[in-house]
Amino acid sequence: MSNEFSVLGRGVVRKDAVEKVRGEAKYIPDIQLPKMLHAKFLRSPHAHAKITSIDTSKAEKLPGVKCVLTHNNVPRVHPLRKFEYLLDETVHYPGEEVAAVVALTAEIAEEALRLIEVKYEVLPAVFEVEEAMKPDAPLVHPEYGTNIYHGTELVRIPRLTEDGWLRLEVGDVDKGFAEADYILDRVYETPIQHNCSPIPRAVICEWTGEKLTCWADTQTPLFLWRDLADSLGIPQSNVRIISNCAAGGYGGKTPEKTATLTAIMAKRTRRPVKTSYSRAEDFIGTHRRISFKNHNKIGVKRDGTITAIDSKIIANWGRDTFAQYMVQATALLACTMLYRYHNSKAETCGVMTNIIGYGPMNGFGGPEAIYSIEKLIDEAAEKIEMDPVEFRLENCMRYGDRAMEFEQVVYGPIKWGILGPDLNSFPELIQKCAEKAQWKEKWKGWRTPVAANGPKRKGIGVAIGMHHCSFWPSSAIVKMNQDGTANVLSMGVEIGQGYSTAIAQVVAETLGIRYEDVNPITSDTGVAPAAVGNVASSGTSSLINSARLAAEDARRKLFELAAPRLNATVDAMEARNGKIYIKGTDRMIPIGSICLTHWQITGTSNNPPVESIRDEKTGQVIHAYSAAVTIAEVEVDIETGMVDVVRITSGHDCGRAINPIIVENQIDLGLAMSKGWVCTERFVVDGKTGVMLNPNLLDYKLITFLDMPQSEDIGRIIVERPSAWGPFGAKGMSETSMTAFAPAIANSIYNAIGVRIRYAFISPEAILKAIEKADRG
Amino acid sequence: MISNGLIVLNVNGVRYELRPRVTATLADVLREELGLTGTKIMCNEGECGACTVLINGRPMLSCMTLAIDAQDKDILTIEGLADPVTGDLHPIQKAFVDHSGMQCGVCTPGMILTAKALLDENPSPSEGDVRSALSGNLCRCGNYRRITECVLSAAEMLKAGGKNE
Repeated sequence: MSNEFSVLGRGVVRKDAVEKVRGEAKYIPDIQLPKMLHAKFLRSPHAHAKITSIDTSKAEKLPGVKCVLTHNNVPRVHPLRKFEYLLDETVHYPGEEVAAVVALTAEIAEEALRLIEVKYEVLPAVFEVEEAMKPDAPLVHPEYGTNIYHGTELVRIPRLTEDGWLRLEVGDVDKGFAEADYILDRVYETPIQHNCSPIPRAVICEWTGEKLTCWADTQTPLFLWRDLADSLGIPQSNVRIISNCAAGGYGGKTPEKTATLTAIMAKRTRRPVKTSYSRAEDFIGTHRRISFKNHNKIGVKRDGTITAIDSKIIANWGRDTFAQYMVQATALLACTMLYRYHNSKAETCGVMTNIIGYGPMNGFGGPEAIYSIEKLIDEAAEKIEMDPVEFRLENCMRYGDRAMEFEQVVYGPIKWGILGPDLNSFPELIQKCAEKAQWKEKWKGWRTPVAANGPKRKGIGVAIGMHHCSFWPSSAIVKMNQDGTANVLSMGVEIGQGYSTAIAQVVAETLGIRYEDVNPITSDTGVAPAAVGNVASSGTSSLINSARLAAEDARRKLFELAAPRLNATVDAMEARNGKIYIKGTDRMIPIGSICLTHWQITGTSNNPPVESIRDEKTGQVIHAYSAAVTIAEVEVDIETGMVDVVRITSGHDCGRAINPIIVENQIDLGLAMSKGWVCTERFVVDGKTGVMLNPNLLDYKLITFLDMPQSEDIGRIIVERPSAWGPFGAKGMSETSMTAFAPAIANSIYNAIGVRIRYAFISPEAILKAIEKADRG
Repeated sequence: MISNGLIVLNVNGVRYELRPRVTATLADVLREELGLTGTKIMCNEGECGACTVLINGRPMLSCMTLAIDAQDKDILTIEGLADPVTGDLHPIQKAFVDHSGMQCGVCTPGMILTAKALLDENPSPSEGDVRSALSGNLCRCGNYRRITECVLSAAEMLKAGGKNE
């Protein structure tokens, strides 16, 4: 790791460490305000029903109840321009909000829910995409006329075809298939996963005069800020979102209508109102990872050339989402950009059903696409009897290959460019991982496990993955304090990923002051300038980059003030150790002594607009991409179907590791969440009712200590290929870390048991069934 | 019980006389009545270990313990772990700080208290001992490897005579 820096690249103590070990870190449920009321929601037991009558009179009479909301007494607005209303007379999935009660205590509110009398007219419902796409299928939103989403008046998706498909095409796919020696045609599925945040959804709203303060557990304060103002019909200046108390969202802590409804209850009662979901409500009433049915076709030559690839992805949206088609755009990019295919086609459509809607979750469509692509690539390598590591080395993307912008997939026009040097890391990552995992020694060839011992089969498998790091508009302010320390104001959110630590490291490095002397004040819309928030891996590449630029602005102002006092020009100065030096001399002035006499030193910046960010060599505007490679080793018991992931070797290119310890922790997060996604976290939806059957942490199994490999068996390789535009070359890596683990585990299970599992979930049961089916021939 | 539902709880060395609802859990009372919100609620149904406190030195799920059942027992929450006089961190807390034992931090108090119970009983645990003792505590951020490292490092610190520093 490079060491030209004083703070960067070091595993400094996290900014939030001490408060978290002392139990002083406050999350929304921990906040108590004077006279605060508590809200609870009544949810639909039906997947699709019309409310024919709703009687709240008994609930309203219960002592302690302050206010009851139903579709009859809330504004008819679309929160987040979604395909839904705050409360609707029709419910579209089991768990949809029907009414809300606010009372002195949560217990009274819950009791009141039981007193609300609702009569439903049950409507036909549909849960599977194949069924929902049939012409005579029940319609999730009858007024919309089809279950295939093709945009609404509220959200237009320019590149969507009239019948609701999003396509990306390069070269001539038919010609490519004609040139192939073999064509493989496969169908894969990816499972639903729930974000399962450690703190279930919670929000507090309080009105003071015309001003609303909202303590929100969100990773996108900006979206919530706008949504609350729009939904309530008030200016943004009257709304303040404070989310410095957010807990692990993994993408999912994005706005829901809960905050708006809570704000309405707080306004009607003129008291602060807290909504705090139970674990079960969080499962059934929020959102979950999208699930795909992928129809993938690949053409391959005997020499290892991929001649064409065709991917068709049908997504089960559930009732609706707010990230319309952005998730699937990410999936299409992953389908067309992981390897240097000259002929590729990828298309996708979103199908609405009467199950819970999907929302963003770690990887945002990328892992779902890559999970299938990387299984297909493995099958293609097997078809031509080529080592899967070699096959990937041969075909992976490199500098100079065709690439494109993420947003273009949705908004167009499509402009293919050349991949910059910052995604040139696949060959290096693959080689380093193979070496560290001793691939050559362990790989015994196709259809041969690494080892067999009684019922235990050892297998090894490889996969690669990538993710884009968005360049979204963002800004930051660096405010110098009188003693030469600094506050950085950012709308980014510390949600566990280490944002406040990383932003402080970058600002300290830029200003030449101590890391300890930078105070990140994050996620408060009343204080921080606008930025999108911590989504789409933009935290590092966009938000922290704007903080770096703001720190440079503050530094320039410090230099200007120091110039007359040092009798030197600005160009001759440098900042380090809390002082401004004339370069190459020991003549200096402490930053604190400048700040003591000039109280208003403030640096500001906007992240440069995307069009101004170009790869120097090619001149192309391409987003940053970060890359990951995993080699997984498993031991499968073919009598019980149990899978033990015994060893993981994982390589990541994050441009520059601002804090290598945090990067490693995020790699572990990717591993745990990936293994959970495909092996243990089964989200069981009843096929007849659409109800989620296991909304608790006993039956929905998160990965535990014992499911992770031993410490010495997790090998991590960090490669730093600086991006041309991230702060000090850094790129986001947390979502990328979600891309390669799951397919590597799946491929290693195949190597162990000799049967491909192409459907969604690799449970012990699925393994036993697959083995049994193969045995029967 | 003294009378009229009045109970005594000894929390972090302080004696409290309280009159909780009969159905109130220890977690409810700690968080809502005593303001000790360092005890986190992740599931509130005994599945995740986040609300772990030490009762007479043993790790217990405070969301599954009725407050009235904790009567007269010694309860240690995360707020009571640091040195009561100087406020200095306990060596386990110190290890979690130094080795980045947390990401979102919700599971952290429960992890630290479960680790304390382990190290009180077994001052020289193996990695396997740590993994198995803590396996009832879920970390959605998957920070298990780092947490194991923290606990092993705390064990070394404690053996070397490390006190609160």
